[in-house]
Amino acid sequence: MGGDSKFLGLWYVAPYAIGLILFTAFPFVASFYLSFTDYNLLSSPEWVGTANYEKLFTRDRTFDKSLKVTLAYVFMTVPIKLAFALFIAVVLNYRLRGIGLFRTAYYVPSILGGSIAIAVLWRYMFAQSGLINMIITALGGEPVNWFGDPQNALLTITLLRCWQFGSAMVIFLAALQSVDKSLYEAGSIDGAKPWQLFRYITLPLITPVIFFNLIMQTVQAFQEFNGPYIITEGGPLKNTYLLPLYIYDEAFKNFDMGYASAIAWVLFCIIMCLTLLAFWTSKKWVYYAGDKRN
Amino acid sequence: MKLRTLSLALCTTAIASTAMAEDLRMSWWGGDSRHAATQAALEVCGAKHGHTISPEFTGWSGHFEKLTTQIAGGTEADLMQVNWPWLSFYSADGTGLADLNQFAQIIDLSNWDDAQIVAGSMNGALNGLPISTTGRLFVFNTTTWAKAGLDLPKTWDDLIAAGPVFREKLGEGYYPFEAAGLDAALIVTLYGTQATGKPLIDPATNELTWTKEELVNAISLYKTLVDNHVIEGWQDRAADGNVPLHENPEWSQGMIAGTYQWDSTYFKISDPLEDGQELAYVDLLTQDGQKTPGIYRKASMVFSISANSEKQEAAAQILNCLLNEPEGVSALGTTRGVPASRTAREQLSEADAIQPIQVEAQKKVIDAEGPAIHPMMEFPSVRAALQDNLELFAYGEVDATEAADEMILAINEALEDIK
Repeated sequence: MGGDSKFLGLWYVAPYAIGLILFTAFPFVASFYLSFTDYNLLSSPEWVGTANYEKLFTRDRTFDKSLKVTLAYVFMTVPIKLAFALFIAVVLNYRLRGIGLFRTAYYVPSILGGSIAIAVLWRYMFAQSGLINMIITALGGEPVNWFGDPQNALLTITLLRCWQFGSAMVIFLAALQSVDKSLYEAGSIDGAKPWQLFRYITLPLITPVIFFNLIMQTVQAFQEFNGPYIITEGGPLKNTYLLPLYIYDEAFKNFDMGYASAIAWVLFCIIMCLTLLAFWTSKKWVYYAGDKRN
Repeated sequence: MKLRTLSLALCTTAIASTAMAEDLRMSWWGGDSRHAATQAALEVCGAKHGHTISPEFTGWSGHFEKLTTQIAGGTEADLMQVNWPWLSFYSADGTGLADLNQFAQIIDLSNWDDAQIVAGSMNGALNGLPISTTGRLFVFNTTTWAKAGLDLPKTWDDLIAAGPVFREKLGEGYYPFEAAGLDAALIVTLYGTQATGKPLIDPATNELTWTKEELVNAISLYKTLVDNHVIEGWQDRAADGNVPLHENPEWSQGMIAGTYQWDSTYFKISDPLEDGQELAYVDLLTQDGQKTPGIYRKASMVFSISANSEKQEAAAQILNCLLNEPEGVSALGTTRGVPASRTAREQLSEADAIQPIQVEAQKKVIDAEGPAIHPMMEFPSVRAALQDNLELFAYGEVDATEAADEMILAINEALEDIK
């Protein structure tokens, strides 16, 4: 390739680079500027300094509520989803007849999970007279008000997210298969039981992947929109009113783009802080092969 | 020679019609019946005027957001269905949408009276032609009410008395009425308007007109309705998630036997009903000592042409076809309510295409009295201020007085922001 053009590589990356600049970098910078303006989309932005941030932190009760709900959602969703994905990955790591089919089947929800159709389906399944309550009543229980009860609504949305465990599971599965089998043999010879093999060999060796999944799932959970928008529209009592919904409402219902941008930047800072925190703590619990600290 | 002349004439005609043919886009919101009728109308109008029109349609939810984003980006359709209150947002100075007065040679404006033209005008520019006039009316499922052995209500007391009868005769799952979300907020607004004789927001001053006590009285109606089994509680309605009334099986099966809706949405709420279920509109319910019937009436949706469109004349031809010409009028029927255009109304009446129930509903809307509705009543932030605090009250998180306090605060904040 070398002789023809030293810029050939740049041509290859140009489409991605242009897309990144136009659709990511520019909006990123623009939203920061807009967060200091009053902008209704149809007229020019008007500089208001830090007024949007002052309102956000001093007298916006909806933001307080939405932030609490978002944090609760993230701290519920991410551990449950990771634990479930890891559990299924461990099961699918066994050599069973037709295991390929099971692996595919468990991955399907991840492909479908974020779609509007699945959110609508979820709404019907958990409705008062939906499939879930039919099962509960058939087993002798009382029907549950999944969406109308403020205590349950967030849990229902969380379950939808956790159901989409496939991508995390596939990554865990790849990590499990890369663990050196000789370590298990050595552990078994030393008398380790299956749980001890998992606890003291598998888990430490897949901590880099757990860490990766933790970061990715946390970021995605903070950005959840489709589920609560379609299923509950943020209710009841704003108990599923995640910050992305609030940003959307401010931007596209009230057309207060400046304020929406300010909320978006606060959300970005929260995600950034939690990610940095995760990186900082990772020194204490993530094992990298060949890392001399370990 | 004759052959040459004929060939030349045919060629000229072909070239002329090709030059005039335009590819247009039209956007609207609505239910299935409106979508089907509008697509059929665009087919016939397109064929008549030699244009091709791409339809872009959605449900009500999210349409405002989509349209506004398109207008901001200059990518809106050439011809648009616009909600009347949105005109002040898109075109406060009259330049945000095309001035239809400029197409008076294409659009027969004589079919609208002066008041309707004024309603569609901003700063002297005719930005939207009213498609129909609409108002919120009470509509009841006569089949279920008959099953309960009751006449349709005339007063709020009649309605409240029906709740226990429904529970006793038909069962716990049957309700004579429904009100949650926006419907509940508008019911409360109606009750307060009747009691005070004043609109919630004064169109002249843009200020809240009700006192806290008046608001408390209106809010308390909600609890009375729930306590008397007239409506399902907010929490129970929310149990099915974010489902609109016309998609709710309890409505289509007649278990919910009444609602308060725009008369222009007749087909949306009647189409899903199971066989044997019938609807009837009644006059606005009354209360003792009321000062006004309190009709919530407004110019319904309007048709507008994009200010950015380079095909405004073609769009005007299609607009005129949809609203005034026999082919378009016949295809659209009454899927947007009883037409405001005189020609269209006469044509549909002569063809018996307006169902008697729609005529009756429209008459109730036009005849009823009520204070003028402020367009800000339809702004999302004002509606959210009403709905959110009513929801808190419905869930027992606050009492009526606290809900009224919060509502006043939130509405004033919203009005301040809008100004």
